Amino acid sequence: MLIDPPVSGAAPPASLYLHFPFCVHRCHYCDFSVHRTSRAPVEEWLECIGIEVAQWFERVGWSRPVRLETVFVGGGTPSLIGGGMSHLASLLDGWFDRTTELEWTAESNPASLDVAVAGSWRRAGVNRLSVGIQSFDDRVLRWLGRLHDAAGARQALDAARAAGFEDVNADLIFGLPESVPRDWRAEVGRVLEAGVTHVSAYGLTAEPRTPLGRRVQTGEIRMVSEDRYAAEYLEAVEALVQAGFVHYEVSNFALPGRECRHNWHYWDGSPYLGLGPSAHGFVGGTRLWNVFRWEAYRRALADGQSALEGHEMLGAGESRLERLWLALRTNRGVAAGDPLLDRLVLSAADLLESWGDAGWVHRDEAGLRLTAEGWLRMDTLVAVLGGRMGQHESGEDPREGDGIRESDRA
Amino acid sequence: MSQNLIRNFSIVAHIDHGKSTLADRLLEVTGAVGSRQMKEQVLDSMDLERERGITIKLNAVRLPYRASDGQKYQLNLIDTPGHVDFTYEVSRSLEACEGALLVVDASQGIEAQTISNLFLALNAGLEIIPVVNKIDLPAAEPERRRDEICDLIGVEAEDVLLASAKMGTGVAEILEAIVHRVPPPSGDPDAPLRALIFDSMYDKYRGAVPFLRVVDGSIRTGMTVGFGASDAEYEVDETGFMCLGFQPVGELRAGEVGYLTAQIKRISDTRVGDTLLDAENRASELLPGYQEAKPVVFAGLYPTDTDQFEELRDALAKLQLSDASLHWEPETSTALGFGFRCGFLGLLHMEIVQERLEREFDLDLVTTVPNVEYHITLTNGDRVSVENPSKMPDRGRTESVEEPYVRVHVVSPAEYIGGIQKLCHERRGEYLNMEYLDTNRVELRYDIPLAEIVLDFYDRLKSVSRGYAALDYELVGYRASDLVKLDILLNGEPVDALSVIVHRDESYDYGRKMASKLKELIPRQLFDVAIQAAIGRDVISRTNVKALRKNVTAKCYGGDITRKRKLLEKQKEGKRRMKQVGSVEIPQEAFLAVLQVGD
Repeated sequence: MLIDPPVSGAAPPASLYLHFPFCVHRCHYCDFSVHRTSRAPVEEWLECIGIEVAQWFERVGWSRPVRLETVFVGGGTPSLIGGGMSHLASLLDGWFDRTTELEWTAESNPASLDVAVAGSWRRAGVNRLSVGIQSFDDRVLRWLGRLHDAAGARQALDAARAAGFEDVNADLIFGLPESVPRDWRAEVGRVLEAGVTHVSAYGLTAEPRTPLGRRVQTGEIRMVSEDRYAAEYLEAVEALVQAGFVHYEVSNFALPGRECRHNWHYWDGSPYLGLGPSAHGFVGGTRLWNVFRWEAYRRALADGQSALEGHEMLGAGESRLERLWLALRTNRGVAAGDPLLDRLVLSAADLLESWGDAGWVHRDEAGLRLTAEGWLRMDTLVAVLGGRMGQHESGEDPREGDGIRESDRA
Repeated sequence: MSQNLIRNFSIVAHIDHGKSTLADRLLEVTGAVGSRQMKEQVLDSMDLERERGITIKLNAVRLPYRASDGQKYQLNLIDTPGHVDFTYEVSRSLEACEGALLVVDASQGIEAQTISNLFLALNAGLEIIPVVNKIDLPAAEPERRRDEICDLIGVEAEDVLLASAKMGTGVAEILEAIVHRVPPPSGDPDAPLRALIFDSMYDKYRGAVPFLRVVDGSIRTGMTVGFGASDAEYEVDETGFMCLGFQPVGELRAGEVGYLTAQIKRISDTRVGDTLLDAENRASELLPGYQEAKPVVFAGLYPTDTDQFEELRDALAKLQLSDASLHWEPETSTALGFGFRCGFLGLLHMEIVQERLEREFDLDLVTTVPNVEYHITLTNGDRVSVENPSKMPDRGRTESVEEPYVRVHVVSPAEYIGGIQKLCHERRGEYLNMEYLDTNRVELRYDIPLAEIVLDFYDRLKSVSRGYAALDYELVGYRASDLVKLDILLNGEPVDALSVIVHRDESYDYGRKMASKLKELIPRQLFDVAIQAAIGRDVISRTNVKALRKNVTAKCYGGDITRKRKLLEKQKEGKRRMKQVGSVEIPQEAFLAVLQVGD
């Protein structure tokens, strides 16, 4: 049975993530919460989101309207919402205050984004569009199992512009198996030509529970070599930075002033509310998440229950590791004056120095941050630093690394 | 109970020949254990034993039995371990008996290990009751096995019993044979107490609990007892016998087998092989003690977490109580910190000790490459013994090095002779002779350096013979060999815990294999790791582990911070479990890399 998360009295978050789980087709590398269907039940999804919002306001006791700064609709394939986006807008207006400052991003798939959809979204209030381009090469798109081709990708970006979107992100995937023919550098060039203001470049990962993961496990597919992965990453960084983009997070690049504010809220520790199956939230210092599958999510809400599946409160050590990791993802890094930086210097000065010599970290009066070479090795660097900080302080804090975690459902 | 109605016996058998099944059946038939309580193989009470299907620790169980003559007898079954490493423990349990069941598999016949245990039993003057077991199996040849046994120990065909412990066939006959053929104990019930401690365990609440065979006199609750080998005296709280747990009785009389508890805090007071005495009426002569088992394989045991050093010390002390053959003393390694150099009876013994320490005492251990003890003559004429390769004196100071040799007996079907000879030859074996035991089975004898046996000889032997060959060996002394110390350097720093002593002819090959195995086992790190194998100053092999260039969970989607943070915690935890030597992180398995160089 549901255990109430300790969120009473928590300040209302200014960021909202909504997960729309429906796809016409499931890509073989994807391990997100996706429900495959030829007709997405938009009405039912909206109804569920409405119930969840109401539950949250009741659970914490927020008074309406709550001021929103960012909204992000991810998926799944949110472009299947189509004209339903205006219903979502009215739903949100019942509870929230959409200020003029609001950044409202929606993800879209080139196969289901046309001028009509883009136009209706713009009218509903969406002002930032993220397009799942992934590649401009038909061979690559076929291998990825995407529904669109290179021409479709360009048409989608044209439609976004025609509808009046000024902030457009293109998602790209790099680090494909070397058996897939591709001219990565040329593709990055094509994204720049397309006139987007933001690029997210993600390395392909073989998640264990995906068809791709299984084929890698059996040896049928061989993942890219580390050298090739690193080379593609650094090529993209070089080309994008040269074109005036700011490399503001491991995988994210934006023209000045075009960074995604919603993403920043994840990384700087701001609270956010997550709605929809598998959505994660961070409310009152507690991380919470919903049940993963659409069916279970829908049923829980239909039965008058909460869709929350679990939550965790972090111990001091865990929360420090998390903060370090999130900070180092970004180009702000750990700022000078942050006690975390003092702690790092105190426990790992030797490492920071040798990593500086290796060109992985950069330290100046603003603070400590990773370089592109450092970002390639980020997990190891953070794990090593985390271990050092833990050692250095062990014994001082009895709650070190000892958080409270509960799964609300068996 | 009158000594005439007591029978003490054990079972000698090769692994898998059905000893445990037979023991279970005896317990069931005599009603000592209800069939509902009957767990499979009741005697093997340690988890580890149950998992490995082998008996390590002795156990003594009392079986009440009404024989066909109408009398009620007390049968004490004292279990023995079956593996070659545990010969010492076998002789301990045999000392407490007057008879032994020799159990032979009807399809496989007598194995080398059984023969050696059989001789232990004969030497101890025990009455042997041969049993051909598993006669229900299609491949069984009971008549043939019976003839073999008659040849081997000179008994009449009708003295050999045929049984199927699994089906229950012949079990009644076995019980009758125990009553009629095993002699009753012959101690003096009225003489001052003398009892042999043949095993001992530690219990959190009861303290050290010795298992005893009363030879003369009796042990009563409330009396004060002393020991032959220590000055300690204790008042007996409880005395009793084992049968599905502790069964208290007021008294253990001459001839009986059981335990006592007396809040014995000092583990060292209950030394296995010692004689228990009446403190107020000490017997003038002690029972003949055991020959102490000599460890032949040595390895360093180190806690992964240096804070666990004291816990490891306590755990070893407690383990030693029930495993007298375990030897240990503190040592220091520059690579691994504080730990213990431990002596074992063999590689299996070492594995079992390590597993018990990790499981029963919740320790996380790094084990170094096992090695034998070397005798070294220095140029100045001094002689030293070296149990740790890193302590090997410099070549310049060394006159000669001797290593222990063992005489190996292998019994195998004739078709595998070729493979076995090749294996023994590769292991620097000296061929002695070969003898046909029957038309198909052969016994091969070799003298082989013990160092060549301790690592994986047994496994290799099993694999070249499809599991059919059986092995036994005994030490035959030290011989001079051309041995050198091979060091491993990581990023130029020697790692003492990775040093090994090898024959000069094999050193190059060995160094190369070691280096490439370490390359596999040491994970990629932030910087390159140079691996070198060296003899003295000569680097004979080098390779390196390339630095990692990619380790990032790039995607951090939809605000799911939790999942990635957990992965990071895991990575951090993984690092904690590795040993940091200089700038290099070494996983625990790497310290045993040498065990895998043959793969």
